[in-house]
Amino acid sequence: MPPITRWFIKTGIFWFIIGMILAFLAELPILSTGALLLPVYWHMLVVGWITQIIIGVSIWMFPRKKRDRMKEQSKITVASFVLLNAGLVIRFLSEPFIPLLHGDFLISVSVIGSSLLQVLGILLYIIEIWPRLQPKSSRKKKPGRS
Amino acid sequence: MPSQSIWMIRLSLIYLAITIIIGGLLLIHKAVPVHPAVWGLLPVHFELAIWGWIIQFVMGTAYWMFPRFMKGKPRGSTNIATLMVYLFNGGLLLLLLSIFDVYSSILAPAGRGLLLFSVTLFAALIWNRILSYRKRTHDH
Repeated sequence: MPPITRWFIKTGIFWFIIGMILAFLAELPILSTGALLLPVYWHMLVVGWITQIIIGVSIWMFPRKKRDRMKEQSKITVASFVLLNAGLVIRFLSEPFIPLLHGDFLISVSVIGSSLLQVLGILLYIIEIWPRLQPKSSRKKKPGRS
Repeated sequence: MPSQSIWMIRLSLIYLAITIIIGGLLLIHKAVPVHPAVWGLLPVHFELAIWGWIIQFVMGTAYWMFPRFMKGKPRGSTNIATLMVYLFNGGLLLLLLSIFDVYSSILAPAGRGLLLFSVTLFAALIWNRILSYRKRTHDH
């Protein structure tokens, strides 16, 4: 399992646990914030957990077209990991404050920045994985392997 | 990788790109109003993320990676698998159209119905491939 896959999966598990803690706390009347943290909770599960697990495993399991380009490709996946998770962290820290501090410059900049970071992170993943989707016959055969 | 998996995964990546852009727009709209119509894209964001991206990607990958049959076609009928891809994406498109009130009373159930049919075909294709090679060697 390549290091970048481990990062994606471990970070995914981290967001999964944090998301479940939020869901647990939301059930306690004394700590419940109503619908305020609902989008944070859903995005921790769907983007932070499920999507990052899918990304990590596919980077590991999907066949590369040219193995000698691994180094170059890994830069794209590292950038994807950093941008996506930076976007998620900023999002989770700023999104709950939007209704409380609506119009605040710092919140607006944080939200726009986190949105752009997440979009870029996902687009980089797509750029990495798209060329690997090919029939077995068109893949470059490695010497010594059938 | 079989062509049916290639197309399901490619389409799921396209839907992922669309849903993340819509999601980004929705998030920005919460802090800095962009256009009142942006909120109308929320159900599109949900459906594309769950059906278009996650479920379609998992189905395409499972169809590719699960143990193959040792005799006959390695993944069963390719025609049924191709039909599964068409039904899934046809159903999803009908569902998306229904969100914009285009014949929604007809298109929403039709879309869900096609998705159900596609998922049933997927289950039928994958069911007998859920085993280990070791067990199969002992059985036969």
